[in-house]
Amino acid sequence: MLFFASWSKKLDIDPTQSVNEDAVFTSDANIKAALNGAYDVVSSGELAGGDLQLYSELLGADGEISWVGTFNQPDEIFNKSIITTNSFVRDTWSEAYRAINICNSIIANIAVANADDQDMIKGEALFLRGYMYFELVKLFAKPYSAGNVTSNLGVQIITTPTVNGQVASVHKVPRSTIEQTYQQVISDLTTAKSLMSDDYGVYAGKYAAAGILSRVYLQMGDYAKARDEANDVIENSGASLEAPYSKAFNNTAPSAEDILVLPITAQDGVNDFHTYWSIADYGARDGDVEINQQHLDLYDPADSRLALFFDYGGGYFYSGKWLLQYKYIPLLRLSEMYLTRAEANFRLGTTTGADPLDDVNTVHERAGLSALAAVTIDDILYERHQELAHEGQRIHDMKRLHQSADGFEFDANELVFPIPQREVDAVGPTILLQNPGY
Amino acid sequence: MRKIKPLLVMAFLFSGKLLLAQTIITGKVTDSKTGDALQNASIVVKGSSNGTSTDNNGTFRLSVQENAVLVVSSLGYVAKEVTVTGNLVNVALASSGTKNLDEIVVVGYGTKIKKDLTGNIAKVKGSDVQNMPVTNFNQALQGRAAGVFVEANNGKVGEGVKILIRGSGSISASNSPLYVIDGVPISTNTGSGNALADINFNDVESFDILKDASAAAIYGSRAANGVVLITTKKGRSGKTNFQVNTQYGRNKPTHLRGFLDASEYVSLLREAATNSDNIDGIDPTDPAQYSGSWLEFAERRLTRYSGWSDWRKLETNTNWEKLAFNDDASTASIDFSASGGNDRTKFYTSFAYAKQDGILIGNNFKRFSGRVNLEQMVSDRFKLGVNLSLTQSVAGRVPVDNEFTTPMQIVALSPITPLRNLDGQVYNSPTTTYSNPYVDFTDGKFKSITFRNIGNVFGQYNFTPSLFFRSEFGIDIQNQNDDQFYGFRTAYGNGSNGYGESDWFRGTDFNINNYFTYKKKYNAKHDVEAVAGMSYQKYNSEYANVYGEQFPVETLRKLASAGLIKGGTSRESNSAFLSYFARANYKLNNRYLFSLSGRVDGSSVFGSETRYGFFPAVSAGWVLSEENFLSGSKLLSFLKLRGSWGLTGNADGFGDFAHLGLWGGSSYNATGGLVSTQIANPDLKWEKSNQIDIGIDFGFLNNRISGEIDYYRRKTEDLIYNVPVPSTTGFTNKTVNIGAMENKGIEIVLNTDNVISKTFKWSSNINLSFNKNKILKLDGDQTIIPGNDGRYLNSLIVGESIGVFYGPRYAGVDPANGDALFFEQDGKTTTNSYNDAGNFIVGNPNPKMIAGFGNTLNYKGIEFSFLFQGVFGNQVQNGGGGFMTAGFDWFDNQTRDQLNRWQKPGDVTDVPQLRLGGYGADGISASSRYVYDADYIRLKNITLAYNIPSSILKRVKLSSAKFYVTAVNLLTITDYPGWDPEVNTDYRAGNRNQGSDFYAAPQIKNISFGLNLGF
Repeated sequence: MLFFASWSKKLDIDPTQSVNEDAVFTSDANIKAALNGAYDVVSSGELAGGDLQLYSELLGADGEISWVGTFNQPDEIFNKSIITTNSFVRDTWSEAYRAINICNSIIANIAVANADDQDMIKGEALFLRGYMYFELVKLFAKPYSAGNVTSNLGVQIITTPTVNGQVASVHKVPRSTIEQTYQQVISDLTTAKSLMSDDYGVYAGKYAAAGILSRVYLQMGDYAKARDEANDVIENSGASLEAPYSKAFNNTAPSAEDILVLPITAQDGVNDFHTYWSIADYGARDGDVEINQQHLDLYDPADSRLALFFDYGGGYFYSGKWLLQYKYIPLLRLSEMYLTRAEANFRLGTTTGADPLDDVNTVHERAGLSALAAVTIDDILYERHQELAHEGQRIHDMKRLHQSADGFEFDANELVFPIPQREVDAVGPTILLQNPGY
Repeated sequence: MRKIKPLLVMAFLFSGKLLLAQTIITGKVTDSKTGDALQNASIVVKGSSNGTSTDNNGTFRLSVQENAVLVVSSLGYVAKEVTVTGNLVNVALASSGTKNLDEIVVVGYGTKIKKDLTGNIAKVKGSDVQNMPVTNFNQALQGRAAGVFVEANNGKVGEGVKILIRGSGSISASNSPLYVIDGVPISTNTGSGNALADINFNDVESFDILKDASAAAIYGSRAANGVVLITTKKGRSGKTNFQVNTQYGRNKPTHLRGFLDASEYVSLLREAATNSDNIDGIDPTDPAQYSGSWLEFAERRLTRYSGWSDWRKLETNTNWEKLAFNDDASTASIDFSASGGNDRTKFYTSFAYAKQDGILIGNNFKRFSGRVNLEQMVSDRFKLGVNLSLTQSVAGRVPVDNEFTTPMQIVALSPITPLRNLDGQVYNSPTTTYSNPYVDFTDGKFKSITFRNIGNVFGQYNFTPSLFFRSEFGIDIQNQNDDQFYGFRTAYGNGSNGYGESDWFRGTDFNINNYFTYKKKYNAKHDVEAVAGMSYQKYNSEYANVYGEQFPVETLRKLASAGLIKGGTSRESNSAFLSYFARANYKLNNRYLFSLSGRVDGSSVFGSETRYGFFPAVSAGWVLSEENFLSGSKLLSFLKLRGSWGLTGNADGFGDFAHLGLWGGSSYNATGGLVSTQIANPDLKWEKSNQIDIGIDFGFLNNRISGEIDYYRRKTEDLIYNVPVPSTTGFTNKTVNIGAMENKGIEIVLNTDNVISKTFKWSSNINLSFNKNKILKLDGDQTIIPGNDGRYLNSLIVGESIGVFYGPRYAGVDPANGDALFFEQDGKTTTNSYNDAGNFIVGNPNPKMIAGFGNTLNYKGIEFSFLFQGVFGNQVQNGGGGFMTAGFDWFDNQTRDQLNRWQKPGDVTDVPQLRLGGYGADGISASSRYVYDADYIRLKNITLAYNIPSSILKRVKLSSAKFYVTAVNLLTITDYPGWDPEVNTDYRAGNRNQGSDFYAAPQIKNISFGLNLGF
C-alpha cells in the first residue's frame, strides 16, 4: 500500500501561473492586487480601453465619421443593424460583468484589508462597479431621456461574488428597470465618492466619482446634481486645463486636466482607440474610422481642435487624439466639467461656480479662439460637441438631447444594443428579455 | 554415482557440440509460385536455438553442423524442413494462403497474430507509405485504413492535421488518438506547428491503429479516441543491409478559385456604389448629386488603389491570387539506412533529410533526422535495448488564416493595384486595400526550429521461457525556438520600426512502463497469455517569449538590436498519469478466443476525489473455419466472429486544472494584479467512452479474397464541455461533464489478390467506413448550444451531429428588389431581415462515409499503384463568404459568382444586388448561403516504379534498385466551389468547429521522381 500511496502523491500537482480562489482573499496585499486586477479588466479593449467609446461614436456618427474597416461587428454598429450574435457586443457585456464580479469579490472580502485602507479599497471597487453598470445601461437599454424608466428594462444587477463554481439563481435574474439600474449606479458612485481619497489620475478618487456622477445626472436630466458634481471637480480637484488643446492627448503621464486616465505604455495596457482611429503608419489598423468633411466643417479654421485632425493623403482625415499607441487614454477631462456646469447652470438659470459664458469661454479660448460675448444653450452644446469629439460621449449626448442619429430617432430600437444571444441562451429567454426590435 | 552420470552426459554433449565439424552455408528463400525473394524468413537448425533470418533479398548465411536439418519458415508460408547438403541451400516455400492472418499485429504492451485478435486493429505497413512526399505521417495514412478520418486543416506544410478514429468522441476534451512510438506515448503539444511532423516515417515498420475499446482499453484513460502504435524498424541478423532513397518533386496548389479581373472589378464596384446611392435616393450620375455620393467615395478609392496607373484605362490587372503561391515550390529528400546484426546484437540506424516548400509564399519545412535502434542479448535471459531518434525540424511559417498578413488574404486586394510602384517597391496600404501580405513575405520571416528527441531504453528479463518482465523508460523531449522579424513596412513592424519576437518552448514527457508477461500453451489446447504492470507518465512544458520594436535598420533582426523591448512572458504546464493495468488472453483449441483487460488510471487534472477511473474491457472470438463443419470448405478458407465491449476514458485537452477556481496575474499601471480567470467545478470527472464492436473476418479461395466487416457503437458519457454560463457570474464558460454523444458505424475492408502469377500480380483493397455521430444529451435544461457568431454556425444540438451548421436558411433573392431573403422560423415565409430569420440545421461538417480504394500491379519489375480516397456527405461553410462573396459590401475583390448578381426587377438569381457599404439585406451574415457540399474523391497517390533486374544489379554490386515517379493529390473531383474541400481553417479548428473555410490554402499537389537503392 505504501508503494501505491507514494506513487499516488505524484498526481498532486498545483498550478504555477494561477492561484486557487480560496487563496486570493487572504491578505491585505492580495486584496489590493485584486483591486489592481479590477482596473486591468475595466481598462481592457472591450471596455474603457476603447470599445465603449467607439460604440458611442459609431452609433452617433450621423455622417460626421465613417467606419471603413473590415470588421463586420463595428460596421453593424455603425450601420445600426446589429445582429444579436455580434461578438464585440457580446464581449463587452461579458467583460463588464467580469469586472463587476471582481469588484463584488473585493467588497465581500473587504475585512482582509488593513483597517486604514478599507475605505479606499471599497470605494474604488464600488466606483468601478458603478461605472460599469452605467456604461452597460447606456448601451443596452433605452435612454433615460425616453421616459418610462420604471418599466423600461435596464440590465441585470449582481452585487455578490461567484464562489466555488456556484452558478446560482442570483446569476439568472431578470433585468432591473432603468430606474433601478440608475439607482444602483448612483448608490455605488456616491458611496464610492464618500469613501475615496482626493487623489486622482490612473486610479479613481473622489473626483472621478464626482465626474462620472455628473454624467449620470446629466443623462437623467437632473441638472442641479450634475452641476454640483461638476462644480465639485472644478472647485476642489486642483486640476487645470492644459494648453494648447493638443497637450491633453498623446501623453505619457496624466495631464493636468485628466480626472481619470488609463495608463498605456509599451509594456502595459491596451489602446483600442489607437487600434481603430489611427492608421497603419503609426502601427494601427488601416484607419478604420475616417473623419468626414461634415465633421471638419464644424470647426472655425483657427480652432486648434481642428488642427489635430490629420490627412493620410488623398483627403482622408483621421483623429489625432488617438494618433500614437503607447499614450495615456483620458477617460474624464476637466473641460467636460466646465461644459457640464455651464449647460446645467444655463438650464437652471444659476451661476454656481461661474457664469455659463465664462465656463464656455474657458474651453473656447483654450482652443485658440477669441472669447464669445454671449452664449445660448445651442452654443454650449456646440462647444461640447467639438471639445469632446470622438471621446465616447457622442450618442449619449444625442440621446439625452433627443437628437436623431443617421435618421434614427433618439429612442429608436436600432440605437440600443441587443442583449447578446449567448446571454439570452445561458440565462433563458423568459428571464433575460431581449430588447425590442431584436 | 547415479547422480553424477547425467552431468557427465551433459558435459559430453556440450563439448561434443563444439567438436563436431562446422560449415558455413548460404542460401536464398523464395516464393515457390512467383519466385519472389522472401524477406525476414526464419532459418533455424532443428532442435537448437541456432538460427538467422533472410535479408531484404531473401538471402541468408549461417554456420551449421554438417547434415543439420534446417526449419525454414516465413509468415504466410508453409514451413519446410531441409537437410543441409553442401554450402548452398536454396529453399522455395509454398504459400499457406494465410499471409494476412499470420501477420504480427502490435497491441498495447505486446504483440498478437492477426488471426487471434478479438478486437479491431488496422495495420498500415511502413513500406506502403514509404515514398509519400508529405511531411506528416497522418497524411500518408489518409484513405488507407477503415474508420480513420484524416483531414489537413489547409495546404500549409508542417501544420495541423486532424485524425479522427471512428468519429468525434468529445466536444471539448481531446479528439485525437494517443500516439505511441515503440512503447512511448508521445506528446502532440507544441509551441507552433504540428508535433507529428517531427517524425520521419521512413523509419517506421508499421502503424497499428487500435480502434475498438478492447484493443485500446489497455491504454485506459488515454485511449478513448483510439491509439496509433508506431513501431520503428529493427535490425535483423545477417549481412548488413544498406539502403539509400532519394527523391525530388514539385508542389502546386490543387486548385485556384479565381476572382474578378480589373475590368469586372471596376464595373461591379461602381455598380455597387450606384445601387447604394439609389437606395439613399441619390442619382450619382447627376453631377449635382455626385459630391458626397457612394460613387464618388468608390471612385476616390479606385484612384487610391490604382497607384501609378489609371483605373479608367484599366492599365493594371493584377492576379493577386497567383501571388499568394510560390511558383517554384519543390520537395527533395534523401535518406540513408543500415541494418543488420548477429544472433546477439541487432541494429537499425538511419539518417534522413527531407525538405518541402509549401505552396504558399514563405511556407516551408525541412527535417533532418537520425535514428539508432539497438538490441543486445546480454545473456540468454536478459535483453537490453535502446530506440533513439533525434530530429531537427526547420519550418518557415505563415500566420494563421484569419490574419491580414497570411498569404491567402492577398486575394482581397484589388486587381487594379499594381504589385510594385515605379521605384520597384511593393505597394502597401493605403494603396493596397488592406495591408499587403506580400510585404510581410519579402520583409518578414518566421523561422521555427525544433529539436525532438524521442526514445526509450528497455530491459527484458526472462525468468522462464513463459514468463518475462520488461521495464521501459521513455522520453519525448521537444525544444523549439521560433524567431520572428517583420520589417519597417510590414503590418506588424509599421509605425514601430520593425517588430521582433523570440519564442521558446520545451516539452518533456517522461514515461515508465513496468510489466510482466506470461505466455504458455497447455496440453496443446489451451493458450494462455497474461500481462500485468504499471505505468507512470509526467508531462512538463515551459514556454517563454520576448518581443521588441524600434530596430535601427532592417538588416539587424535579432532582439539584441531592438530599441524597445515591449514585453515577454514565461509559463509552465504540468500533468501526470499513474496507471495499473492487466490483461489476460485465453485461446482454446485454436478457435475460441477470450480476452479480459482492466486499467486503473489516475490523472492530476482532476481533483483528489475524482481522479481515479477504472477502465475494463472484455472480448471474445470464434474461429469458425477451424471447426470440423467448415474446415473442409474449398471456398471458405477463414471465418471468425468476434465481439468486444470496453470502457475508455479521456482526460486530455481541457487544461491542467479545469476543476479549480483560479485567479491569475495581470497588470495595470505597471503594477501586478490578480484577476479571476476560471470558475471552479469541484465535481469535474473523467469523460468515459463505452464501445461495443461486433466483427466478422473472412477469407475465401485460399484467402485470395479476404476482409473484415465491423459494426460499432461508441457512446461517450460525462462529456466534458465548456458550457456557457451567464456572464453575470463573472465568467463565460464552465468546464463541466454535461452530456452524452454517440458514434455508430460500419466498416468494411476487402482485400483481393486479383491475379497472382510469376510475371503479373494485381491486388486491390477497398475500405468503406460509415459513421453517424449524434449528441444524445447536453446539460439538463439546454438542448441547443447555438454557435452562430455572425460568421460561423457550428452548433451543438441534441439529436444532431457535433458541430452541425445551425442558423438562418438563405431563401435566395427577391426578384423585385434584389434583397437577400431568409426563411422565417415557419420555413415558408421569407424575410429580408437577418434578425427575423429562423434557425435551421443547414449543414453537417461530419462526413457520412469515408473510403479508400487502392490497387497495386506488378509486371516483370514494373510496379504501378494508385490510391483513391474519398469523403462523402459533408458540408463546408465559407466563413470568408461575407467578405469575398459579398456583393461588394466593401472593397474586397469578389468571387466570380458575383457576376450573376441581381441587376433589375424580375431578375431571378441567388446573388443579391451589389451594395457598397453594408446596406442591409445583402445577405452577408452567416447562413446557408455560404454552406456548400464538400464531398470529394481524390487520387491521393499514384506511383509508377521500375525495379532493375537483379542480373544487371549484380554487376554493379547492388542488391536492389528502383526508379519511380509518384504523385500526391493529382486529381480531385468535387463540387465544392472554394479552393479545396479538404479544409478546416486553422485559427478556429476544434472538435465543434469543423468544416469551416476562411482563406485556407488549398492542399498540395505533388509530383516527384525518386530512386531507392539497396546494397
